[in-house]
Amino acid sequence: MFRKILIANRGEIAVRVIKACREMGIRTAAVYSEADARSLHVGLADEAVLIGPAPAVDSYLSMGRIVEAARRTGAEAIHPGYGFLAENADFAALCEEEGIVFIGPSSAALAIVGDKVRARQTMEEAGIPTIPGMKSVSRSPEEFRAAARSLGFPVMVKASAGGGGKGMRIVRDDGGLVPAVEAGRREAKSAFGDDSVYLEKYIEEPRHVEFQVLADNHGAIVHLFERECSIQRRHQKILEETPSTALEPGLRSKMGETAVKAMRAAGYNNAGTVEFLLDRDRRFYFLEVNARLQVEHPITELVTGVDLVRQQIQIASGGKLSLNQGDISQRGHAIECRIYAEDPKANFLPSPGRIVLLREPKGPGVRFDSGVLEGWDVPVHYDPILAKLIVWAEDREAACRRMSVALDDCVILGIHTTAGFLGDVVKHPEFRAGRTTTSFIPKQFSSWGTGAGEEDARRMALAAAAFDLLTRPTGRAGTPETGPTKGTATPWTTLGRWRAGGDDLYGL
Amino acid sequence: MDFEFLIDGSPRRISLENRDGAVYFREGEVAVEAEVRRISSAELLFTFGGRTSRIHLARDGERAFVSVAGREFVITEPLPGTRGPLEGDEAGVQGSFLVKSPMPGRVIKLSVGEGQPVRKNQALAIVEAMKMENEIQSPAEGIVKKIHVSVGEFVDSEKPLMEIESTK
Repeated sequence: MFRKILIANRGEIAVRVIKACREMGIRTAAVYSEADARSLHVGLADEAVLIGPAPAVDSYLSMGRIVEAARRTGAEAIHPGYGFLAENADFAALCEEEGIVFIGPSSAALAIVGDKVRARQTMEEAGIPTIPGMKSVSRSPEEFRAAARSLGFPVMVKASAGGGGKGMRIVRDDGGLVPAVEAGRREAKSAFGDDSVYLEKYIEEPRHVEFQVLADNHGAIVHLFERECSIQRRHQKILEETPSTALEPGLRSKMGETAVKAMRAAGYNNAGTVEFLLDRDRRFYFLEVNARLQVEHPITELVTGVDLVRQQIQIASGGKLSLNQGDISQRGHAIECRIYAEDPKANFLPSPGRIVLLREPKGPGVRFDSGVLEGWDVPVHYDPILAKLIVWAEDREAACRRMSVALDDCVILGIHTTAGFLGDVVKHPEFRAGRTTTSFIPKQFSSWGTGAGEEDARRMALAAAAFDLLTRPTGRAGTPETGPTKGTATPWTTLGRWRAGGDDLYGL
Repeated sequence: MDFEFLIDGSPRRISLENRDGAVYFREGEVAVEAEVRRISSAELLFTFGGRTSRIHLARDGERAFVSVAGREFVITEPLPGTRGPLEGDEAGVQGSFLVKSPMPGRVIKLSVGEGQPVRKNQALAIVEAMKMENEIQSPAEGIVKKIHVSVGEFVDSEKPLMEIESTK
């Protein structure tokens, strides 16, 4: 087993990997940019190396500096997390040359699956259903126009190196094609350092269902069932759950077997995910392989009881997979909500800034994977993910209720976050009924923040602000204060209720 | 006692009386009576209608951030002498709009030049933050009077990107 691992990432995923390492008795080295000097992951690691200025291209995407940091700290392996260099075949190859273990698939497997176009070819050859699309990337507007016409609008612009919704655009007519390709290219360049894009037929209102796979370096492959990730905004997941309400046992095992077959065809090793689109007729299409630990991996951990990061590290150190397919089962239901620094009332615009108050939700079946601290400035340079709230319960309804309460208890003040919005998603009758597709957010939540609940909350916020001004302790901020001393025996009894114009608002 | 607040930028006028933890809130036609207890400098308990809600509150300079049941609000007191915000954030001088970026970020594209006529909602610039591109659109039909930024520049949500002179 490794004695020291370098984590080439930041935020909540770096923290997650550090925790697994600590449990395994492995020392950790963090890397950080100048913008992250005071970040949580830097403080939690055994040591930390400054690798460059804030822009990711000069720090977290700089292969040379990260390998140099691994050398300097004596780390035998690098965990890339997700994003940044996680699916970069050149980086995996560089690690291999330098004799550092890359905790992920081999550079050869990455080269196949990391390139979406090549992955599609491989899957087609293996007899796995794929979405109709361009056979290769292109730079010529004429080729894009011709391809769009032959596929038929609407089409989807996708980044060849893509993931996380970056570089993706839906195009509904000829006029929108060239600007969409141009924008997709710029976004792909800044996110992945590769501006190759291609077109795929756009499937309307699909469900997004993916299968977690673990493959060791000795040929053993298992799947750990599905995650449904249909709730998306800007083609990026914000809520995931498992099991999927769309799969019955027959379809589930068929898709699981297909996922294993896909990974075998790609010569894949370590943890990975096979993404499928499920159309309205329950036909499924291979979408892509996510050759990394996924953001949403915790829900699989909660229903299968398997620690995926520990499995990744064991596999990378040459260990044989300790799991047989027959031993893996799903128990209960898990949901993850991604807490982003974004303003849901303003079309999910990024909301960087200082976190002035942080209260993490906790309780039975509640897990909070966080990369943030109170008093810390959320930098403008990176992905807006702050934390992930994950719950487990016996069944879906109980999990929804648990999530709803946990989101109410999730307090991040100073910036806008998606927590309140996700609370309304979880309470939505269509969501409760399990009718989730990738158009759920645009369809059901085109405007948010105007309902009656919102107005009640707004009034309470105003009352709280006024009460605070009237009673604010003059002492140092953060000093605990006792409440009014009179009537302390019955603080929980009702003295009044909301009334509108003298009438009882709740009809109580 | 009467209070004037801006909540998420909108002006509101309320009154609040506090008598030994019993709080009387009034805003126009709406009257509320609740029990309020302070747990810490950042936490208040509101009890009414048989339910207790925990409200979190923190201040950063002049802004108070308040969290109620997972929803966050920014509350400020209007500056003396001002009468609340003008219509829309972009409204500056009459007939002229100062276009600002809704969030901090880097200007990666300017789609128009000075003196150029623009339609309402036409793309003026692209500002990138947290790896997302955000298109800044013209608030009105008009002419680009002055551009205050250049490509590659970092902007916050206060600095005007450009000025549009309305022609309607």
